[in-house]
Amino acid sequence: MIRMLNKHFTVMQILTSVYNFFRPRIAGMIIAILFLAIVLISIGFTNWNTVDQLPQNPMDQSNIQGIGMLIFTDLVVPFEILSIVLLSSLMGAIYMAKGDGTE
Amino acid sequence: MIPLFYYLALSAIIFSIGLFGFMTQRSGIRMLMCVELMLNAANINLVAFSSYNADLTGQVFALYSIALAAAEAAVGFAILMSIYRVRDMIDLDKINVLRW
Amino acid sequence: MAIEDMAFLIPVLPALAFVLTFFLGKKLPNGGAIIPIVAIFASFIISLMITLNLLQNPEQVISQSYNWFAILNVGILIDPLAAVMLCMVSFVSLLIHIYAVGYMSHDKAQPRYFAETALFTAAMLGVVLSDNILQFFICWELVGLCSYLLIGFWFEKPSAASAAKKAFLTTRVGDVMFLAGIILLFSDIFRIYNGSIPEGVYVLRFDEIFTHIPEIAALNTQIFGFQVSHLTIVTLLFFGGAVGKSGQFPLHVWLPDAMEGPTTVSALIHAATMVTAGVYLVARTFPMFVAAPYSLLVVAYLGAFTALFAATMGLVMNDIKRVLAFSTISQLGYMMLGLGMGAVIGITAVGDSLFHLINHAFFKALLFLCAGSVIHAVGTQDIRQMGGVRKVMPITFATMLIASLALAGFGIPGTSIGVSGFFSKDPIIEAAYLFGESTENWMPYIFSIVAALLTSIYIFRLIFMTFTGKPRTNYKGHESPSVMTVPLMILGVLALVFGALTKTGFGKFLEETFTNNFVNMDIHALAEIGKYHLASHGAGGEPLLILWMPVIVAVAGLLISYLIYGMRIIDMSGIVSRKNPIYKLLYNRYYQNTIFTQFLAVKVVYEGLALAGRAIDRGFDWLVDMIGYIFTEASDGLRQLQTGVVQNYATSVVTGVSLLIILVKLILEVF
Repeated sequence: MIRMLNKHFTVMQILTSVYNFFRPRIAGMIIAILFLAIVLISIGFTNWNTVDQLPQNPMDQSNIQGIGMLIFTDLVVPFEILSIVLLSSLMGAIYMAKGDGTE
Repeated sequence: MIPLFYYLALSAIIFSIGLFGFMTQRSGIRMLMCVELMLNAANINLVAFSSYNADLTGQVFALYSIALAAAEAAVGFAILMSIYRVRDMIDLDKINVLRW
Repeated sequence: MAIEDMAFLIPVLPALAFVLTFFLGKKLPNGGAIIPIVAIFASFIISLMITLNLLQNPEQVISQSYNWFAILNVGILIDPLAAVMLCMVSFVSLLIHIYAVGYMSHDKAQPRYFAETALFTAAMLGVVLSDNILQFFICWELVGLCSYLLIGFWFEKPSAASAAKKAFLTTRVGDVMFLAGIILLFSDIFRIYNGSIPEGVYVLRFDEIFTHIPEIAALNTQIFGFQVSHLTIVTLLFFGGAVGKSGQFPLHVWLPDAMEGPTTVSALIHAATMVTAGVYLVARTFPMFVAAPYSLLVVAYLGAFTALFAATMGLVMNDIKRVLAFSTISQLGYMMLGLGMGAVIGITAVGDSLFHLINHAFFKALLFLCAGSVIHAVGTQDIRQMGGVRKVMPITFATMLIASLALAGFGIPGTSIGVSGFFSKDPIIEAAYLFGESTENWMPYIFSIVAALLTSIYIFRLIFMTFTGKPRTNYKGHESPSVMTVPLMILGVLALVFGALTKTGFGKFLEETFTNNFVNMDIHALAEIGKYHLASHGAGGEPLLILWMPVIVAVAGLLISYLIYGMRIIDMSGIVSRKNPIYKLLYNRYYQNTIFTQFLAVKVVYEGLALAGRAIDRGFDWLVDMIGYIFTEASDGLRQLQTGVVQNYATSVVTGVSLLIILVKLILEVF
């Protein structure tokens, strides 16, 4: 690839390689593009009931404080649960990745 | 000022790329990566709506989902390691013992 | 407490005895025989009191009905007809239970035996005092079940098990006809009421049925181009049930085989009580038979034919119980003939027939019990291996002789001298003569006379071969214990004198069943409907020869038997051989068994029906197979989708979601 980029860098070859990449994946590509088109059209034709513009606060662009307040007040239970999930997934991952030690 | 549509379109494109990768790639690692892409596309949506609704909850949830993605990736890679240890490869389309 | 309040106890006490014996029998001596004996004794006492009361006050018929559900009821009806049957059944059952204490003393399954006979007695008493045809049928079936259980009492013997099955299946043919008759009768009465039954009317009660006889007779159905009255169909179907139960001609095959059961069972069920249930059914519904064209003639002809037919087979049997079984069939034929003579003598026929039924119950139960006593002592049922039993069993011999005389019908016409069979068989034969006189059809009379001759021959053959001469094999005989001989003596006395004592009163008593009591039937009007011409005068006034004829043939039979089997003057070895076709025909019971099993069972049922069944079966099989095949193939294709590869699933999900969105969008846009 590096050599190709260096020496025989032509548009044709790029196109060919792209074509070679997508040719066996044409079905997946069609489906993905279809899906993308549908989603984009849906988004585009939807009348989003939101503010036109982002709320601007030039003095303090950061909202870390707000997020922190939220995490430790209203959403503290999900936060704790998340910690347990993380811990258990950590333990599970270690257990599975460790193997039985025989190698 | 960036309209909301751009965020959503970006998210859709990233999601579609992830989808495309997930559907076409064989390697388990690549597939996991694609899953991460799709997850993060969702996160972009969360943050975008959060901002446009002036409600920070969405961003908090984006944080949470990133944390969950980490956990998911940890478990996923552990599984892939186990598979690799047993089968000497991680091509998930060959792992089809659950077939009919 | 009035006696009618205790009437319901008659069947209930033996039923209770059944339950008690079944559960407690093992803990009591003699298999708990005391429980049914006491219960049946109580039933007998109540029955006797009711009967005596009825004799004095003929209008005090006991009739109690209780609503069962909707338009059906349960109830008891004790009129003279039922009362005499109740007395007979409970009395014979009581004696046989006492006898069985001795007879079954060596059997391990005594509690089961006594429980089943108690249940049988309860069911039989239930048949007798039913006041509606449905309850009658239920008890009738219960009786059949007990018969099945008791024939197969020694079920370890394959022959007993198969005999039980045969009895059950053969009577089932009749029972199905009976049930069909009940259903038709029910629907007819329903139709007469136009479907709306008034309050308090129970459609299957006998009095209700009898009041509608003219209307049922007016209903007609086209069968093979003939207008057939519904009454004829119903009565013939009822008679079909009676044919099955009472062992009349086409369905008699089970009765000889039923002798596989204990001898006491044969005596109780297959001689005295259950087989007479068919006769009782016809007697109970006699007004219907009288009003139904042709029905009584069918009863008469079939009865006469069966009487002769069974007697011929009785001539050659070597099994002591089989001889008696054929004798029973023959005598039941007489009873049916007697009922059929209602075509000429009207209601008197019921009295004649029931009189013979009661007498027959006594002497045939006695014959069976004597035979059981002999079998008990000798240890075989083959009369060729007996001989000279008289010396070791004098009481048994005496009682058996009395019973045989009663069966053959010895007596002096015109006087009160005679055994019981004489007084009951004579009126039937005389009625047959009257029938011949008025219709110029002498078939029933000739048949009954010839059958009487044969009866005398075969029963004395049995006596001579069993009791006289020298023992033909080594057996250690001994007289039975007194628990067995006392019932024999009681029955012997009854067989001797019952006929003479009751010959005048019995018929009159029974005639009141349908004339003064319960329903007031004008038998002459009914006979008009049935197109029967009742004779203007009753029995009597026949030539002297006709009066003496039954006695003459009985004596002639005794003499022939004596010459052949007693003195051995006539050598029978030429006739009694397998080479003689007539002997062979009789010995093989007219090959009816063979026809039934080889032809009917194998050819018609197995091959014919099985072929049709197989065609249907294959058809359904094919259909079921096709449905299954389609689904397996379809799912075989569908399950290819389950590739086990996650990407494919994801692809399907995404494709599906995309298409769904497009679809929804399209629908929303277009509509």
